[in-house]
Amino acid sequence: MQSKKSYILFILPGFTIYTVFMIIPLFFAVYYSFFSWAGIGPKVFIGLGNFKKIFFDSQIAPVFKNAIKNNFVYMAIALFVFIPVQILLAYLIHKKIRGYSFFKLVIFLPFVISSTIVGFFSLLVFDPNIGFLNTFLESLHLTSLTSSWFGDPKKAFYLLTGVIGWQGIGVGMVIILANMKGIPEEVVEASIIDGANEWVRFWRIILPFLKPALINVIILSSIYALTQFDLPYIIGGPTGGLDGAMDFINLFFYRYTFGDSYYGQTAIGFGASISVVAFSIILFIAILQNTLLKKILHRD
Amino acid sequence: MRIKKKQGPLGWAATILLALYCLIAIFLIGNLILSSFKTKMDLVYNTFGFPKSFTLGNYYKVLITDDFIRYFYNSIVITSLSIISLLAVSSMAAYGIARYKFKGKSIVEMYFLLGLMFPIQIAILPIFIILRNMHLLNTYSGMILLYTANLAFPVFIFSQFFRDLPKALHESALMDGAGEFRIFSQIMMPLSRPVIFTVALISFVQIWNDFYLPLVFLTKRSIRTVTLGIYHYLSNFLAYWNYVFAAASIALVPIIIIFFIFSDQIIAGLVTGSLKE
Repeated sequence: MQSKKSYILFILPGFTIYTVFMIIPLFFAVYYSFFSWAGIGPKVFIGLGNFKKIFFDSQIAPVFKNAIKNNFVYMAIALFVFIPVQILLAYLIHKKIRGYSFFKLVIFLPFVISSTIVGFFSLLVFDPNIGFLNTFLESLHLTSLTSSWFGDPKKAFYLLTGVIGWQGIGVGMVIILANMKGIPEEVVEASIIDGANEWVRFWRIILPFLKPALINVIILSSIYALTQFDLPYIIGGPTGGLDGAMDFINLFFYRYTFGDSYYGQTAIGFGASISVVAFSIILFIAILQNTLLKKILHRD
Repeated sequence: MRIKKKQGPLGWAATILLALYCLIAIFLIGNLILSSFKTKMDLVYNTFGFPKSFTLGNYYKVLITDDFIRYFYNSIVITSLSIISLLAVSSMAAYGIARYKFKGKSIVEMYFLLGLMFPIQIAILPIFIILRNMHLLNTYSGMILLYTANLAFPVFIFSQFFRDLPKALHESALMDGAGEFRIFSQIMMPLSRPVIFTVALISFVQIWNDFYLPLVFLTKRSIRTVTLGIYHYLSNFLAYWNYVFAAASIALVPIIIIFFIFSDQIIAGLVTGSLKE
C-alpha cells in the first residue's frame, strides 16, 4: 500500500520550488511594503507610509498616475482594437482566404522574436535620422510627413502600442482560430440552408460560439496589458520616454527598486508597495472580468 | 462546405492587405540578416540592397571582441538546463496530481493554476532578496531555479495529458510488479513524448527570448545572455548599429528555424494552455 502515498513524492519537488519562488514572495512583498528599507541594514516600520507616498506625494503621485493611466489606455486599445482585429484575422484564416496558412504563420511569427530584437526593429524603422520610415517618406518627397516618431510624446504612446500589438497579435488570433475550428459543421451548414448571409452567420452563430474563448483572451490580454515592461523599457528607456509617454506601472516599479535609487533610502520597501498596488489592480481586474463575463456567458 | 469557392473581391482585398502586412515582418527579418554581412559604409549608402562586399567583420567583432560567444554559451546553458529541470519537475507534479486520488487534490490543482494568472514579475522583488540571501544572483543556478519555479503552464499541459491516459495501463504495470517511479519513467514518460516536446519548444522560445529576469538577476557582464547583450548595444544604438544586426541575427536565426519547422506544435501548445474551461 506504499504506492498510495507516492503522489506526494511526485508533487513535492514542484510544489516546493513553486511555493518558495512564486507564492511566498507574494506575501513577502506585502510584508516589505510596510517598511522603510534600503534592502540592507535595518527595516523601519512605517505603516502605510509607502502607500501614502504613491498616492499623495507631490513628486511621485503624478508619475504613478500617468503610468497607471498608460496601462489602462493600452488595455482599452487591446480590448477594443486588438481583439476585434484578432477575431477578424482568425475568421479570414478560418475561411481559408488565398494564402491563409502563410498569413497565419507570418502574423504569429513576431511573437517568437525577442523583445530586444523587436525593439531594435522599432529603432530601425522609426529613428528620426536613419530610420527607414523617414528615409522612405523623404524619397517620396513627403518631407512634411516625416516625424521624430518616438521622440514625439504625442505619437510615442500609440506607436509603442502598435509595436506591442505587432509582436503579440498572433497569440489571441490562434486561440480564437482554434475555437472556430470547433464549431460544428452541421450548425454552419444549417444556417446556410436557412439562407443566412455571411454577416448574419458571423454575428449569430460564430461569435456566440466563441464566447468562452473570448473570455480567456480578454483576461489574458488584460493581464498582459497591466504587466507591460519589455518593449516600453527597451524603446522608451527606464524613464518611460519623453514626458513619460511610454511609462507603465512596471517601469515605475523597476526604477524605484532596481534603478538609480537602488542604494537609496527607501528603495526596497517602497518598491514592494508599488508591486502590491500593481498586484491588487491585476487581481481586481481579473476577478471583476471573470464574474462579469461569466454572467454574460450564462445569461444566454 | 467542401466546395472550393471562388474568392470574391472582398476576399482578394483581404489577401492583399494581409500580404502587405506580412511583408513588414519578412522585410525586417530579411534586412536584418542581409545587413549583418554589410560593412558600416555599405549600410549607410546601401541600406536596403544586397551587401556590396560580403563581410564577416561584424560577426567577428560581436562574437570575439565583444564576447557574444560567451553570451551565446550562457543563453544555451541557462535555456537547456532550465528546460530539462522544468520538464522533470512539472511532469512529475502533473503526474502526481492527475493520476492519484487524494484529499485536497482539487485544492492542489488550483494552487498550481494560480501561477497562470500572475506573471513572475509581480513577485520579483522578494525573489531578488531570496536569491541574494542564497548567493544566487548572477548565477546559472539562480536562473534555472526561477525558470523551473514558473511551472504553472507546463503542469497544466502535462496534467491534461496524464488525465486522459487509460487507467488500466497503470494498473497492469503495478500487477507486473513495477514500482511507481519505474512506471513513471519507463511507461509514462515515453508515452508523453509529444507533450514533452511541445512544452520544451514553448519553454525554449520563452526562456531564450526572456528579457526581464536576465535584466534583474544577471548584472555581471560575464553572465549576460544574448538578449541582454543586444540590449546593451541598443542603449548606444547609433554607435553600434552595424553590430546589432549581427548580434540580433545570432539570437534570431535559431528561433526562426525552430519556429518554421515546429510552428504547428508551438501554436497548438499555446492554444491548449490557454483553455482553462
